[in-house]
Amino acid sequence: MDEAQLIKGIQQGDRKSFQTLVETYQRMVVNTCLAIVHNKADAEDLAQDVFVEIFRTAENFRGDSKVSTWLYRIATNRSLNMIRNNKRKRFFQSIEEAFTGGRNHGSEVSESRNDQPDQNITDQQRSDLLHRAIDRLPEKQRIAFTLNKYEELPYQQIAEIMEISLASVESLIHRAKKNLQEQLLDCYKKKCV
Amino acid sequence: MKTKCIQKDLIFYLDNELSVEMRTAVEKHLEECADCRSFLAFLQEGIQIIEKEKNPEVTPFFYTRLSARLEEKPVYQTQSQWVRLAQPAFFSLVLLAGIYGGLKLGSNASSPKVYQQATNSAQMLNDFATEPIESFLLDEL
Repeated sequence: MDEAQLIKGIQQGDRKSFQTLVETYQRMVVNTCLAIVHNKADAEDLAQDVFVEIFRTAENFRGDSKVSTWLYRIATNRSLNMIRNNKRKRFFQSIEEAFTGGRNHGSEVSESRNDQPDQNITDQQRSDLLHRAIDRLPEKQRIAFTLNKYEELPYQQIAEIMEISLASVESLIHRAKKNLQEQLLDCYKKKCV
Repeated sequence: MKTKCIQKDLIFYLDNELSVEMRTAVEKHLEECADCRSFLAFLQEGIQIIEKEKNPEVTPFFYTRLSARLEEKPVYQTQSQWVRLAQPAFFSLVLLAGIYGGLKLGSNASSPKVYQQATNSAQMLNDFATEPIESFLLDEL
């Protein structure tokens, strides 16, 4: 079944077509979300939201772009929204803690931790360092960089997903790498790992 | 080539994005500079983390969970839509009532009758003019 038939099926409410689409793209969507939020449970929840949105808004898909481009666009937007919401939650939580004297530590705000206890400490530290460096990148640089590095997408497809020119993608990725290197160099000089 | 310049180019060296001349110059510098070699290794290890994190295993019940969510979500969504509309309407009403109340109070306060009342009560409160605190304390002694 090709993409057009799949989408037509979903538009008609066919669950079998939807299941095929989910099974084809679930790993790609989870990987994209994970590259941005750095937490597997959050990435899977986000991927679920992405597919729910696809199912509910399938009739709006006109087929101008590839299904994967549409999925990447929703996945990156939802991941960025989650990060913004978490930042907002942390802000209000810090205000609440200032009033309650820091009694409410048990919140559901997710931290950028991996859930792999067997990983050695240096790898975990390196991973945390890289995540922190990626998180400090401006949003557009972060999206362009993660799509290129984690999903190995060509610049042209990134340009379609982000709805910007090819030259802008090149510039964003170049600046992202420079910024990332600067942060890692800073850490290397301070011997933080 | 200076060490500082080399360190700024190493990420592009790793990604094979340097020109042939630049690449040769970097390699030549790396042979001589232990600090740059060490930073290159550090950078390489950091970037390799991405390779390890790519393509995670997805939970086997992903579609089952998703299917269950598709069944339950519409009820929640209609409820949240109602709340989304009602909340701003309620807060707008409260705000409008506040503005109206403020205007009403303000117009009452500026009328001559209310001004007279306010001046009288101020005079009653400010009785230091008729009986200074010093004389009151001296009387007490």
